[in-house]
Amino acid sequence: MTVSSQVKQTMASLKSAHANLETFALNTQNEQAKQLYTQAAQDTQSIVSALENRVNDIESEEPQYKGF
Amino acid sequence: MPEWLNIVVRSIVSLAYLFILTKLIGKRQLSQMTVFDYIAGITVGDIAAFTATNMDGPMLHGFIALTIFALFPVAMGLLAVKSKKVRDIVDGKGTVLIKHGKILEDNLKKERMSTDELLEQLRLKNAFQVSNVEFAVMEPNGAVSVLLKSQNEPLTPKHMGFTVSPTTEPQTVIMDGNIMQESLATIGLNNGWLLAELEKLGVSLDNVFLGQVDSNAELYVDLYDDVIKVPEPQTLKLTYFTLKKCQADIELFALSTKDQAAKMLFSTSAERLQRVIDRVTPLMTR
Repeated sequence: MTVSSQVKQTMASLKSAHANLETFALNTQNEQAKQLYTQAAQDTQSIVSALENRVNDIESEEPQYKGF
Repeated sequence: MPEWLNIVVRSIVSLAYLFILTKLIGKRQLSQMTVFDYIAGITVGDIAAFTATNMDGPMLHGFIALTIFALFPVAMGLLAVKSKKVRDIVDGKGTVLIKHGKILEDNLKKERMSTDELLEQLRLKNAFQVSNVEFAVMEPNGAVSVLLKSQNEPLTPKHMGFTVSPTTEPQTVIMDGNIMQESLATIGLNNGWLLAELEKLGVSLDNVFLGQVDSNAELYVDLYDDVIKVPEPQTLKLTYFTLKKCQADIELFALSTKDQAAKMLFSTSAERLQRVIDRVTPLMTR
């Protein structure tokens, strides 16, 4: 497995966790929990974008590993 | 009218009237009765019985007395709500039995409470040793309330510095295999959601004896058929561990890369993710 695909895999897991966090934020009836989940989802999203940038860099350095 | 018929009529009428009056006095429990409730209760019963059997005077006289006796505690109750002074007289005040860990013998005597009785009341509150008690007071209704010394208080998450998940009350959405529409609507969910959740668990609605939804909108069910094992909701735990796994992965990337900029990016991401995990840990695991 190449480095870029490893990073991509982690990114995908993180995206799924982010989606779950947003679901929890929507589902919970407790305002405090809702806020915590929303904040966590936002932070996770920004980490996903950071990883995305890194994947783009790797792919531009080594275009032969582009794609899945 | 023969005398016996007269008594039948009087009894029924005074019984009905007594019932109405009792409804007026309200639904205070016997233990919460004030002195006035107690006095009025005894007297009202007596007057009612007397009115039923006494053939001399008109019934009206009995009813007037009944009304006054029944409405007096109601009026006193209303006054007591308004004024603290009246409240102290009507409801009475509590008596302090133990203060700063020392038994107040004079107050014990005032309440005609023996040492054995005091110890018994303390034991009922799980205070087997008097030295563990900081403060104890006899409430106006006769019960003893106990405040333990803070080192003997039961441990709570606050003492340990834990943050725990804020919870709201669970809603019972399935009872005896029937969907409770009202409680389902209270938490903003509908039949479609519930049926989908049941499908996920692999059970049919008729088989569910009780179903509750917690504050994270996770469904817990108890089945009629106790042999079937119902899977516990896992999404919360799964997401938590996914987050942890991602955090470890990113840390690994930070260690393995030689590119300084990339190392930087990965390690800051790992740190930020760790902070996210720390924040949601109480929500997702406790």
